[in-house]
Amino acid sequence: MKDETRVMRTPRTVDIDLTARCNLRCRYCYFFDNPAVPYQDLPTDEWLQFFDELGRCAVMDVCLAGGEPFTRPDLPALLEGIVRNRMRFAILSNGTLITDEIAALIAATGQCNYVQVSIDGSSPATHDACRGPGAFERAVRGLRTLQRHGIHAAVRVTIHRHNVGDLEATARLLLEELGVRAFGTNAAGYLGSCRVHADEVMLTTEERMVAMETLSRLDQQYPGRIQAAAGPLADVRMWRRMEEARAAGAPPFPNGGRLTACGCHRTKMAVRADGAIIPCNMLPHIVLGHINRDSLAEVWQHAPALNELRMRHTIPLTDFEFCAGCDYIPYCTGNCPALAYTLTGQVNHPSPDACLRRFQAEGGTLRVKDEG
Amino acid sequence: MKPTDKPTISPDVVLREEFDDWAVLFHPLTGEAVGVGPVGVTIWKLLDGQLTLAEVAAQVQARCEDAPPTVLEDTLAFVEDLHRRLFVRMKDEG
Repeated sequence: MKDETRVMRTPRTVDIDLTARCNLRCRYCYFFDNPAVPYQDLPTDEWLQFFDELGRCAVMDVCLAGGEPFTRPDLPALLEGIVRNRMRFAILSNGTLITDEIAALIAATGQCNYVQVSIDGSSPATHDACRGPGAFERAVRGLRTLQRHGIHAAVRVTIHRHNVGDLEATARLLLEELGVRAFGTNAAGYLGSCRVHADEVMLTTEERMVAMETLSRLDQQYPGRIQAAAGPLADVRMWRRMEEARAAGAPPFPNGGRLTACGCHRTKMAVRADGAIIPCNMLPHIVLGHINRDSLAEVWQHAPALNELRMRHTIPLTDFEFCAGCDYIPYCTGNCPALAYTLTGQVNHPSPDACLRRFQAEGGTLRVKDEG
Repeated sequence: MKPTDKPTISPDVVLREEFDDWAVLFHPLTGEAVGVGPVGVTIWKLLDGQLTLAEVAAQVQARCEDAPPTVLEDTLAFVEDLHRRLFVRMKDEG
């Protein structure tokens, strides 16, 4: 049996918000409009010093996000620092600033896992609705530039009110016309700027059902090429399993009945653009220390707030009034602590956003036909 | 791989010690990672290009109370596998 109390000596992966600058202001961005975040950047030397520490800690991967990482003019020097310390890297980008020059440099490192470009629609009408004029053309150009240089170009589609009707055309564009191997999906979540624009961008229950139905159909049409760790496709997959288990009176799921999601804090941690060490870039208000001032290994092993998060899995869902009388408890993980925090003010609480019972109470049904 | 060979670790490869004496060997250029137990970690740390594999196996035998009688064969197979994955190199491989 897995020992859930053991902690690795150091994290395997570190997610780094490399900058608080971005050339776009997407209306559902999880990063901006968070009063807990100071939105300051560190100079090159501070990051290079930190990358040396990551190398000594034998961290395997870093994921660079922000903000828009390609706004940093020192990105080549930063990538060189990562490579020199024998790590692989990924970059999360809006794609609009990717040039031949930087793509060639990334390809030459031989240590890039992928560059993820956000593409939210099949045309400017849907993509630019939340990202601003011109973003679609530039993102597609950026994606093609990555492909031309042989870089693994990943794509993320964030689903919101303006593109939920465009998912089939988006899948066709990405998988057939642009030749993307697979793309990931999620939905605009109640974090950052999305909280400011929630009524305008977040899916209603009816739209969520449309997204689940469409993505399930596309998942059958393009097997293995549509991915989801969160959002409508992940929800419908999980909720159908939960409903089947409940109806059959099945034994509890191994990770059910407690706050077991998401488990990332056992293998990775994150750093804000100002150098604050945090458990996850979705939980930027929990400051554990500061790079180059505090030892990463010490913070990783001993920060009380991080170890408290690691014990979250021991909290039973039956402790919560929110879950009282719910038949799905044995099959529920409580889902994302970050969304739990922004929606309820408590990290140690089930996320209402992922609650099947609440979804049903709001009129939601799992009406997706099982064609498998 | 022969008992007289003197392979050395690739300088690109990272030994990542995770729990107790268990570790991951990670090659950042290929992205390949291999989980290794305490004996594997011991062998890895002895691959300095000076010791023959027979000497490495003898040191493993001396350090590990429960080392099996096949320790030399096991060492050769382990290092051969690492060599195939470009985790170790021979002297003439640069």
